[in-house]
Amino acid sequence: MTSKNNIIVRIAGAAGDGIQSTGELLGKTISRMGLHVMAYNSFQSAIRGGHVWLQMSIGAEKQLDHGEEPEVVLLFNKTSPAVHVPDVKAGGAVFYNAGTIKKEEIESLRSDVNYYGLDFKAMTDAAGLKDVSPVMINVMLAGALVQTLHLDPKVTLEFIKHKFQKKGDDIVNLNHAIFNLGFEWTKANVKKIDVELKGNGKPKLFMSGNDALGMGLVAGGLKFYAAYPMSPATGILHYISTIAQSDKIVVKQVEDELAAINWVVGAGNAGVRAATATAGGGFCLMVEAQGLASMMEVPAVTVLVQRGGPSTGVPTKQEQADIALAMSGNGEFPKFVLAPKDMEDCFYQAARALNIAEKYQVPVIVMSDFFLSEHFETVDDLDFSKITIERGKFMTEWTSKEKYKRYAYTEDGISPRLRPGAPGAMYTVVSDEHNEYGHVMSDVEAGLPHAREGRIKMHSKRMKKIETMIVNGDAKPPTLEGEANAETTFVTWGSTYAYVQSAIKLLASEGIKVNHVNFTDIYPIPREKTLSVLKGCKRLISVEANMCNSLCHQILGETGFEISEHINRFDGEPFTGEYIVKEFKKLGSKKKQLVSV
Amino acid sequence: MTMNVADRKARPAIDAKEYKGEVHPDWCPGCGDFGVLNCVQRALGELGIPQHEVAVISGIGCSSNLAGFINTYGMHTLHGRSLPNAQGFKIAHHDMTIVAVGGDGDGYGIGAGHLIHALRRNIDMTYIVMNNSIYGLTTGQTSPTSSFGMKTKSTPFGNPEAPLNPIALALGSGASFVARAFSGNPKQAVEIYKKAIMHKGFALIDTFSPCVTFNKVNSASFYRDNTYDMNAEGHDPSNLDAAFKIGMITPDGSQRIATGIFYINERSCYEETEKETLATPICDHKLGISAERAEKLKATFR
Repeated sequence: MTSKNNIIVRIAGAAGDGIQSTGELLGKTISRMGLHVMAYNSFQSAIRGGHVWLQMSIGAEKQLDHGEEPEVVLLFNKTSPAVHVPDVKAGGAVFYNAGTIKKEEIESLRSDVNYYGLDFKAMTDAAGLKDVSPVMINVMLAGALVQTLHLDPKVTLEFIKHKFQKKGDDIVNLNHAIFNLGFEWTKANVKKIDVELKGNGKPKLFMSGNDALGMGLVAGGLKFYAAYPMSPATGILHYISTIAQSDKIVVKQVEDELAAINWVVGAGNAGVRAATATAGGGFCLMVEAQGLASMMEVPAVTVLVQRGGPSTGVPTKQEQADIALAMSGNGEFPKFVLAPKDMEDCFYQAARALNIAEKYQVPVIVMSDFFLSEHFETVDDLDFSKITIERGKFMTEWTSKEKYKRYAYTEDGISPRLRPGAPGAMYTVVSDEHNEYGHVMSDVEAGLPHAREGRIKMHSKRMKKIETMIVNGDAKPPTLEGEANAETTFVTWGSTYAYVQSAIKLLASEGIKVNHVNFTDIYPIPREKTLSVLKGCKRLISVEANMCNSLCHQILGETGFEISEHINRFDGEPFTGEYIVKEFKKLGSKKKQLVSV
Repeated sequence: MTMNVADRKARPAIDAKEYKGEVHPDWCPGCGDFGVLNCVQRALGELGIPQHEVAVISGIGCSSNLAGFINTYGMHTLHGRSLPNAQGFKIAHHDMTIVAVGGDGDGYGIGAGHLIHALRRNIDMTYIVMNNSIYGLTTGQTSPTSSFGMKTKSTPFGNPEAPLNPIALALGSGASFVARAFSGNPKQAVEIYKKAIMHKGFALIDTFSPCVTFNKVNSASFYRDNTYDMNAEGHDPSNLDAAFKIGMITPDGSQRIATGIFYINERSCYEETEKETLATPICDHKLGISAERAEKLKATFR
């Protein structure tokens, strides 16, 4: 019998217990060994306390799913056993902090799992270790895990050294000693788990979606970033702040989201690549300025990281219900909305967003979601050489004898943009309707025949850009992946992509063939090409982390094509492959009538 | 660092006419904003700052239309959002001279949240608020600086709220330059605007700019009769205590109304904290990441 090459681990406790540290030690060990991991953090909006857990799916292949039943769990505090022991796979290993959790109590929960209590204080005292802080149990448990999963302890010890070397040799040695206590104790006391995790030895990147989004923006030439902290978008601010000085990027935490987006518009107009990020509530405050950017024809990139709504909603949970918000604003205006599907895509799409914003002189909204932004995952590599900088019709000098027209009528709707500061071509970008020079026509001229004609021409010029995005091939149809003649097609956007891939694999192992249509470009949607993809599918089922099928509404509105079968999840937890399979089976095999055009 | 005119040598004056925009102002005849526009044009001309090196950035309201009437670069943005746009612009292209303009509703009402932070942040730019104590473009409602008891369309029985005091607000928010001008005293206004533009930091000039149509109380003659030049009478702009004392007086005519420069503090401006990044304007930086740097960025995640 061959050993399994994949395992699910869960670490649980109170916020502040050091779960993240154990997760980091394990994640770095795995990624440095060239293994893959997908780590999902379930937490609340509390800095200390609450109940949090981290679930990691580990294997040699790219992990698409954090999975359902953990085989190994580490429990830090009293509230952990009742929540997590029932989830453990039969025969699994339950490690717990014997200093906080009573043996009789936890072992009474069920008898088909193995319990291992580590008494941190007794063990460190017995080893004669000094200056031990209770939070260091996370290092001991990391040692237990590394042994349980048969990982390479040298890799963890090396990372511990790297992490603590600034604090001095004593701290490094103490942490090494605690790690070894956990490792050796496990070797002696724990029943061997049948798993073989063979990495390829090529260290991978271990990062969050927010890190990848931030890095993509930077790779794409970001020079200015303004934001107001809001979960789950704050990680982008944190990442870019760490490299602001070294990479000469101005990062501003400003007074509110109204400010953030307007700073971005001001900076964008002055000729730099600028971006901001927020969650749904913050984006509500940015909506007016999305229209401003579009009216002024100034590039502006906003990352909208969705979380449970409405209002303040569920700040630290998963939801995909903000397409209508991203599409919103007063009046009609060109914009571009896109949604990366995974970690790598976060990097490439963030850079792409900056190009589209400049090329079309429009606001671009990059839609992420709580899971995509906040979870950690291994990435083989990010290819910076694939990133190109396309600034479109952009000039820094005006040499013509003719008077410069900022909003010149053009075939494709895009007027050549001159960076302010050039001699001899002064103009004002304006929020009011205007003529080609940017002279406002709303105040005293609106309604006069020439202004009516001007309004039609200028509004049409701007809106023409939507068609140009499609004609140029910048607005792309959805991708179809998998078996061409599958009986069923799952339709997704955003981070749900990976879970559906996982579900499709599970179904394939049962002989059920399902393929996959994923939308990255949410707006504009090229109608004909999209219809030909959708109409080629036999049975379409959307999978979205919401109640009301926002992507289906978008598709219906943009193409007239209705998807009438849905799998939804809106309890705040991300999908899993198993969840989708279960829901799919509940739908039955009977296909609902499709309304299509 | 080519930061603003403060670092520049004196330049030959430019005729104020060169700053006249192509669009003729559509303000009501007699509006105080004409005076402010003239004073801004004269100040820029006397300082010799070429039109293309200036960006005038406004919000929405009668006075915010000024950005469309002046021959410089500009942004005529959203109601209340002149300062975020102006600060973003300035950081992106910091060798340009930025003059933000707007009204009291724009700056002290809907945009007040931005003002207090701009004051403490101290980016090198000038902000002129044309204060007429009324909402003009929306045809005459109470404004944040309308007097207590003032009858307007939205307060037909008298304004039940006390007015906001922009001078005291600015002084309390860490402002480095606080002044008050009156559009009916262009000689003083031009001098204040010039000093404000030359000031290395954020300069607020609350400027009485009477509305001839909707505010019959705070008229040009009211300010002519009640104002005095505080600096001519000996106020020292380095004296914060004295500035607060005079600044706390509500300019409702119950006492003489001070105009002039309340306070100047030559503390370092925001740009000086980012000297390395701003050694050249970031809009001139080469875009993208070198292959070598890319590897380093990735290494932090391995």
